[in-house]
Amino acid sequence: MQIICISCHSYGYGKELAEKLASELGYDHIAREDLADQATERGIPVGKLETAILKHQLITEELSIEIERFKAFITAEICKRTKKSGVVYHGRMGHMVLQGLPNVIRIRATSDEKERINRVMQRMNLNSKQAKNYIEQVDEDRCRYTKFFYNVDCNEPTLFDLVANSTNLSIENSVTALINLTKLPEFQPTPESNKKIEDLLLQSQCRLAIAEDARTRVAKVDVRAYQGNVSLTYLPAFVKQAEFIPQVLKKIENMRSLVCTMAATNILCIQERFNPDADTFNYLVEIAGKWNASVELVRLVHQMRDDKVLQKEEIDQAKFSDREKNGGILDDTSETEEDEKDKYGVPETINRLIQVGRAGAVNTIYGGVQPLANMVKSSKGNCLVVVGDVFLSSGSASQKRMKRDLISLLSDQSRVPVISSDDLKEQYLFGPKQRIKTLVFALISVLLFYFVFTNQELILKFLTPSDTEFKILAVLIIAFSVPLAAYVIGNLWHNILKLVKLE
Amino acid sequence: MGLEYFIDISWSTAAQVVMLGFIGGILSGFIGSGGAFFMTPGMMNLGVLGPVAVASNITHKFGKAMVGSKRHSELGNVDKKLSIFMLITAALGIRLAVMVMKFMFEGKEGHSAATSAGADLYISLVFVIVLTIVSISMLRDINKSRKKLDKGPSRKIVEFLSKHKLPPLIYFPVADISVSLWVVLIVGLACGYLAGTIGVGGFIGVPAMIYVFGASASVAAGSELYLAMYMGAFGAINYAFEGLVDIRLTLLLFIGSLFGIYIGAYGTKVVKEVSIRLVTAIIILLCVVSRFIAIPVYLQQLGIVDMDPANNVYFNFASKAMLYLSGISGGLLILFYVFKAYFHRRKIQASFSAEYPLTLKEKLAEENL
Repeated sequence: MQIICISCHSYGYGKELAEKLASELGYDHIAREDLADQATERGIPVGKLETAILKHQLITEELSIEIERFKAFITAEICKRTKKSGVVYHGRMGHMVLQGLPNVIRIRATSDEKERINRVMQRMNLNSKQAKNYIEQVDEDRCRYTKFFYNVDCNEPTLFDLVANSTNLSIENSVTALINLTKLPEFQPTPESNKKIEDLLLQSQCRLAIAEDARTRVAKVDVRAYQGNVSLTYLPAFVKQAEFIPQVLKKIENMRSLVCTMAATNILCIQERFNPDADTFNYLVEIAGKWNASVELVRLVHQMRDDKVLQKEEIDQAKFSDREKNGGILDDTSETEEDEKDKYGVPETINRLIQVGRAGAVNTIYGGVQPLANMVKSSKGNCLVVVGDVFLSSGSASQKRMKRDLISLLSDQSRVPVISSDDLKEQYLFGPKQRIKTLVFALISVLLFYFVFTNQELILKFLTPSDTEFKILAVLIIAFSVPLAAYVIGNLWHNILKLVKLE
Repeated sequence: MGLEYFIDISWSTAAQVVMLGFIGGILSGFIGSGGAFFMTPGMMNLGVLGPVAVASNITHKFGKAMVGSKRHSELGNVDKKLSIFMLITAALGIRLAVMVMKFMFEGKEGHSAATSAGADLYISLVFVIVLTIVSISMLRDINKSRKKLDKGPSRKIVEFLSKHKLPPLIYFPVADISVSLWVVLIVGLACGYLAGTIGVGGFIGVPAMIYVFGASASVAAGSELYLAMYMGAFGAINYAFEGLVDIRLTLLLFIGSLFGIYIGAYGTKVVKEVSIRLVTAIIILLCVVSRFIAIPVYLQQLGIVDMDPANNVYFNFASKAMLYLSGISGGLLILFYVFKAYFHRRKIQASFSAEYPLTLKEKLAEENL
C-alpha cells in the first residue's frame, strides 16, 4: 500500500494537511504523538529520551538501546498498518522514519514565519517576540532531535519530494496537488517496495523482541532483513546475550532464516554490481576477518529515472515477485545464471559472506549520490567505507572522475575513512610495499638505539648544557627527534601486528 | 643539571623500563588515559629522580599522543576546537608546574636521594590526593549506576552548568556540546598543571570532558590525546630547556608503550564500558596505595619524621611491589580479555563453515527449542 510521510516546521500545518489528505484518500492517519503514547505504555521511556537529547545530556548505552527500540517500534507500527491500507504518517521526523524505502512520498509542510508566529500568539497568548523565540527554540529542538536520531540536517532539501507552503497554497489545494502526486508512477507501490516493507517490518519486530526480552535487552545488535532472511550482528561484549537471540526470535513470524555474526565493527561496501569472485571481495573478507568486522553491501542505483535502469528494475521486480514464495538468499533451489545476473550479484555475495561469518546487511540506495551520502552520514558503527564499481554505464574516464567525486563527497559526510576498492590492498593488507616499509622502520629503529646507547654520556652531556644557546639547540633536537622516533617505532609495531594479523 | 642526575642503564633496567612502557601502553590503549600514573612512579622506583621521571615521561607522551591522535582523528573522534581552547590555559598550567618543580630543586647540592626528596614528596602528595579523588569518584559512580537502569556516568555537573549558562558559551561541533569558556579554561589549567607536575593529564582531561563538559567517551579520549600532543610538546620543551629529559628512558618507553597501546585498544572493543571503568578505577587506586607507601621515605629523608633509614628499603620494596601488582594484574586482566575474545572469534568463524547454510528452523531443531 501507499505511504505518505509528512514532517513540518513547528506550527506549520502538517497535522491539518495529514488529516485532510488521509480522509480524502481513505488512508489510515498516524500521528507521531499517538505512537509516542503507545510506546510509553509499552515501557519505552520516550519522555526520558527527549529530555536527554534536548538537554544535551550524555546518551548512555542504555538510552541508545531505548532509542533503537523506539525507532523499531515506530517503523513496525507504520509497516503493520501499511499492510491493511494506505498510510499518511505525520511527525517531526516523518521524512526519515522509513529510510531507504522506495516509493514513499516525503512531504515538508510549512508556512512563512509571520504566519507561524501569529498562530503561536493566538494559541499561547504570547507577544510577537516571545512567539518568535518560542518557534526558533522548538525548531532548534526538532532539528537536534532529528540529527540525533538519524544524523541528518532536518532541513536538508534532498530528503523531501515536495514542500507545501500554506502561505501561498491553501490546505485544500495542497491536498488536491498531493492527491495528483500520489497517482504518479514513481510513487506507486511495487512488488519490490512491498517486499522491502515486509523486510522492514521483520527487521523492526526482531529489534523490538530483542530489546524487550530480559535475557537480551542490554545487547547492542544491528538487525537487518533481506527477503525474509535476518542477519544480525553483535559486539563481542554481548556474546552471552547473543546466545539467547535464536530463542527470543523464535516467536517472530515470516522469518525464513537467521544468521548471527559477532562483529566489533562494520565495513560498508558500495557498488552497483557485486562479484564474490573478484579480488575486491577477497580483500574485503580478509580485512573484515582481521578487524572482526561485518561487511554491509550497499547497492547504488544512481539513475533511477533513467529509462534503461527503470526498465531493468521492472524486470527485476517481476523476478523477485515470482520468487516470493520459494526464493531467497538461502534458497536451495538452483538458479539460472541470468537470475543471478539480474540481482546484481547480491545474493551470491551475501551467501559467501555468511559462509565466512562476515555477513552484514544489504541495502539498495535509489536516486543517486545524495541519498547515498545521507545514508552513509546517518549509519553508525562503521569503521571503513569502500567504494567499488560504480557509475558502470558511464565511460571509463568519466567513471573514474565520478567515482573520485563520490569518494570526496562521502569523505566529507562520513567520520570514518572512505577509500576506493583499488586502494584496499595497499592500505590495509600486508603487501610487498609494507614488507619494505617494515624493514626500513626496523633498520632505522636499530640504528637509533645503537647510536643512543653507545654514546650515552656524549648525548646526555649534549642535552644538558649550561649555556642558553646550547639549551635552545638541545630543545630543538628533542622537539624534532622525539616525534620522529615515535613515528618510526609506532609504524614498526603497527606493521608487525598487521603482518601477524593482530589488529 | 649535571650527568649525576641520570641513572646508569643496565640491560635489566632497560628491560624494566620497556616493561613499564608496555604495561603503561596497554592501560593507555584500554582506558584512554596516558598510563603515566604507572610509568612515572615505576621509573622512580628504579631510582630515577622524580623530576627526571616526569620529564622523560612527558616527552614520551608527546610522541605517543601524536601517533594516537592521528589515528583517532582518522576515526573522527577529535574535537580540535575543544582541545585548542583547553590548550590556552593548559600551557600556562604546565609552565607553572615546571616553575614549582624547578623551585623545589634549586639550592640543592650533590647527588643523593635526599636532594630530590622535597620534589619527590611534592609529586607523590599531588599524585595521591588527585588520583584518590578520581578513583573514588569513579567507583562511587559505577556503584550508583549499577543500582540504576541507566549505566552511564553521572550527569550532575553537566546539568548544573547547563542550567547556569555562564557566558560566553562556546559550541564544539565534533563533541556536539556547548560549554562556558571559563569552565573550559579552568579545566585546561588544571590539566596542564597536573600534566606538568605528575605527568598525568588524561586522568583529569578525559573525566573532565565526560563529567563536566558532557562529551562522549570516544570524543573525550580523542580530543584529550590531541591536547596531550601539544601539552606533551610544551612540557617536553620546558623540561628539555631545564636539562631534565633523559632521552634514553623516553626511547625505551616508546618500545613498550607503542606496542602495548595497540593491544589495549583492541581490549576496548571486547569489554563492556562499565567493566572498563571498574578496571581503570581499581588500577588507579592500587597505584595510589603504592605511592602512599613511599611517602614515609621522603618524610624521613627530609627529617620531618624520625624513622630508621634502614627501613626505607622495605617501604621502597612494598611501594614497588604494589605498583607492579596493580600494573601487571591490570595488564594481565586486559590481555586475558583480548585473548579470550580472539579465540572466541576463531571458534565462531570455525563454526560457520559447519553450520552454513542452516536455516533458523534447523538451528532451533538442533537445539531442541
